[in-house]
Amino acid sequence: MPPSIHPVDLVTALRHKHLTPAIVFLTSRRACDEAMETFDHADLVLPPVRQAAIGAALERVIAQYPSIAEHPLIPIVQRIGVAAHHAGHLPSWKIAIEELMRQGHLDAVFATTTLAAGVDFPARTVVITQSSIRKSRDFTDLTIGEVQQIAGRAGRRGKDYVGFAVITPSPYIDLNVLTKGLTGQPEAIDSQFTISYPMVLNLLKAHPHEHIQGILAKSFAQFQLNQRAELLERKLDLVQTQLEPFGPRVCTDWITQWQTFDHVRKRRPARHQTHRSDSPEIAARLSFLTPGRVVGLSKGRGIVLRQYRSKGQKNSMLTMLRPDGAVTECPVTSVREVYDRTYDCAEIPTYPWCSAETFDRLSEQLEELPPRLPILPILASPPAEPLPDAVVQSLGDFPCPTCSSRPACQKDFPTASRLRQEQHRHTKSIQALRTSLWHRFQERVEVLQTFGYLTPTTQLTADGEWARLIRIDHSLLITELIRADAFTGADPSLLTGVMASLAHDDDRPGAFPRISPGLSSLLRQVRKLAESLSPHEDPPLLRADVAALAERWVAEPTLTWIGLCRLTTMAEGDIYRLLARTIEFLSQLQTLKATHPGLADAAAEALALIRRGVLEELP
Amino acid sequence: MTTDELEQRLAQQPVALLHRLARGRIHRHFRAGKRRLIELLLQHSSHNRAGLESDLQALLEARHARSEPGEHRLHSPPPDTRKKAPQQPPLPATIESAVSLASWLEGIGVPAPQPFVPDPWQTEALSAVSETDVVISVPTGSGKTYVAVEAARRAMEDNRTVIYTSPLKALSNTKYTEFSRLFGSDKVGILTGDRQENGQAPLLIMTTEILRNLLYDAASGEIDIRLDTLGLVILDESQYLADPERGVVWEETIIFCPSQAKLLLLSASIGNPQDIADWLTSIRPTACRLVRHSKRTVPLRAGYLHPNGKLTPLFRSLGIPYGHPAQLHPEAKRLFLEYEEETLPSGRSRR
Repeated sequence: MPPSIHPVDLVTALRHKHLTPAIVFLTSRRACDEAMETFDHADLVLPPVRQAAIGAALERVIAQYPSIAEHPLIPIVQRIGVAAHHAGHLPSWKIAIEELMRQGHLDAVFATTTLAAGVDFPARTVVITQSSIRKSRDFTDLTIGEVQQIAGRAGRRGKDYVGFAVITPSPYIDLNVLTKGLTGQPEAIDSQFTISYPMVLNLLKAHPHEHIQGILAKSFAQFQLNQRAELLERKLDLVQTQLEPFGPRVCTDWITQWQTFDHVRKRRPARHQTHRSDSPEIAARLSFLTPGRVVGLSKGRGIVLRQYRSKGQKNSMLTMLRPDGAVTECPVTSVREVYDRTYDCAEIPTYPWCSAETFDRLSEQLEELPPRLPILPILASPPAEPLPDAVVQSLGDFPCPTCSSRPACQKDFPTASRLRQEQHRHTKSIQALRTSLWHRFQERVEVLQTFGYLTPTTQLTADGEWARLIRIDHSLLITELIRADAFTGADPSLLTGVMASLAHDDDRPGAFPRISPGLSSLLRQVRKLAESLSPHEDPPLLRADVAALAERWVAEPTLTWIGLCRLTTMAEGDIYRLLARTIEFLSQLQTLKATHPGLADAAAEALALIRRGVLEELP
Repeated sequence: MTTDELEQRLAQQPVALLHRLARGRIHRHFRAGKRRLIELLLQHSSHNRAGLESDLQALLEARHARSEPGEHRLHSPPPDTRKKAPQQPPLPATIESAVSLASWLEGIGVPAPQPFVPDPWQTEALSAVSETDVVISVPTGSGKTYVAVEAARRAMEDNRTVIYTSPLKALSNTKYTEFSRLFGSDKVGILTGDRQENGQAPLLIMTTEILRNLLYDAASGEIDIRLDTLGLVILDESQYLADPERGVVWEETIIFCPSQAKLLLLSASIGNPQDIADWLTSIRPTACRLVRHSKRTVPLRAGYLHPNGKLTPLFRSLGIPYGHPAQLHPEAKRLFLEYEEETLPSGRSRR
């Protein structure tokens, strides 16, 4: 038996049970496309009347969006009444399929789960084939909310008495996740508030610095933090009532008093002290016995690989590289001489404690050492005085030994000190919860001050005034590029290329056209800057290949959409999304007309050039 | 109940009950002995302890009710010590035979066209939105769009501007077409980063990011005429508030939304709509109204389709047993086990 049901069988079964129209959610775009291919020679042909109806409906959509007139899937859609709908398609194609679905012409649509929210059309039946979806890199189980979002597409109001969610297994499906998802309560949602640079600039433009904390307090993030803080406050109250019986005694702060007393009492030397410290001569050596140091032992020489303390050993231990590549352990006391010679040693946390290359190199260098080596003179500091007895003697200063409440203090101290620690912990966390957003804001402010977008008094500088208009991802990088004059004199196609590489955050591999030397050198500059900004802002992928694609589209106004698609293996829908995102980025540059007229004009020109063909069909 | 208490409690139960509890939770629970079973139950429910506890309670109560006429069992549970157990409908009886395929498939068909009558929650939401902010959390496909359309229509009749935002450009386009058809194309406009179509229309559609930018511009003095007459802001798919990358935009939009405009948040079912409503109440001039319900307008049934083409109901009951541990239909269970046997390398369990 095949691991999952054949698409043709699936549609047959659904039709047979009158469960059409259906949306079939599949794992990947590829699965959707392959499912469509299986219908190439299927004899599930629709009656001519319905075929004609689909044809007529398609005609109407094509009149509005001519770009899909030649779509390769049209024959199957019309003949069988099934279609694919995923992010690899053009938006206009998806609109067409949604329209056909709404009018009830299709029997099944194969869609991907990733865009369940974007699938805005209902059906009688939803077919679920997997229990996990791909998020960024790895697969994660569907949440209850997601399962319900998917299943929710089943059952059209006014057109069905009842909707069906049909699960059909594929390898690695977990039925548990799905049944739980169908029957359970959706998860609570949590705030994902982040403080971005443009947010800081825009807030400080509109409000004085001292008002900002109040504005941040209005966020859902703070609302939820407050909820947690209140929970802790309730716990804190409880702890405080528990602490009540341990109020002031003979001394007001008896807990601290007893703690100090107890501490000192315990430090009074018992019969003899067990010192695990090294003698001064040895201790002075320790700081020189670093990985890569050549030392002399009673027999031959060795190179230190690591220094460590071992539980059973009185002294610090060394791992040594000995001649013939042997790795041995010895206590530091067995080191006779420390030589004035060290080698580079790339340390790693596991045996043999240095990288393989280092190991080979060090072994060689050990063999080649001259017979005489300069000895490193090491000055031993005089032995440290034993702990002054002053503290111990001060025991007499404590009132505790003769105090009337001593027995009570002694008895209550463990409980009381535990409670007080808890109290401190809660107070601290409550404070952290209440102020964390503000601290994050301040961190951003400091970065913006160092870069010169804000004055030390948190006013916007001239640069800050225009930088606040760039409200997209990687805004710091973009504004820094503008300040570095990276785009001065750049023609629209280069600008488009750079913006595309900034906007594209997908690492799906593919084949792309060659990149022009101008763009490649500009991108090198961008990459360098992005790297230097990485402590303050996550660097974008900056893919040169997708940049080349966008550049080509703008540089060659005669290039058709089909021609552009032929240049790459990227899916049509992805190219569209890339260019649409680039448009968004460019339109932000366009707003800088007042301060950077040249750049704004180049962006406007680029926008005019991008907006043609398919990209003009939708606003 | 702490973990230890729960463990103790479980240990007191007969193993048969534990197996009942493990059904639908633990794969191949019948292979495990009592101690292992308890371990697995605790492990499995580590993120949803309350669910396990309430199921245990329900099972105990069911058993208690059966043994009531007889003598008091030795290990019968102590009277309900839990604080305010959520009132749950009685567990569907397990003895009752599972639903048949024929009756599961019954009722397919197209209802006769009926005049549209809004659901009570829709009316409630509509009357509330003229006075205050409203958060709507209802299952997908319940008719949120109807509320949005009617609210927009009413606001426009009062000569106020309405802004409708969606998370995706694709959805914006769909709504633009849909609303143009409903209200007339001169009444509806769409705003994107670089384009405006009919930008002075009373109903404006845009993505949430664009609205956020408008609000920032307004806050820093570049007054947009459209914000003066703004009467209603509809945020569709508000569950995007929890989106790791873009969620912050929804928060900014809500924080900076002018106070004279009413907010209408449309969201799919989420776990904590009350929190959202409380939050809005705490930052907006009027108290926010929460409209939620979990009942679907068109009932949903779940089925299982085996790769060999055999269709069976998924659950024992006809509908989906919301809020109950899933009781799989015996046929679906058998077929799925068969499927797992065949697809998994032999002798190796999935977990």
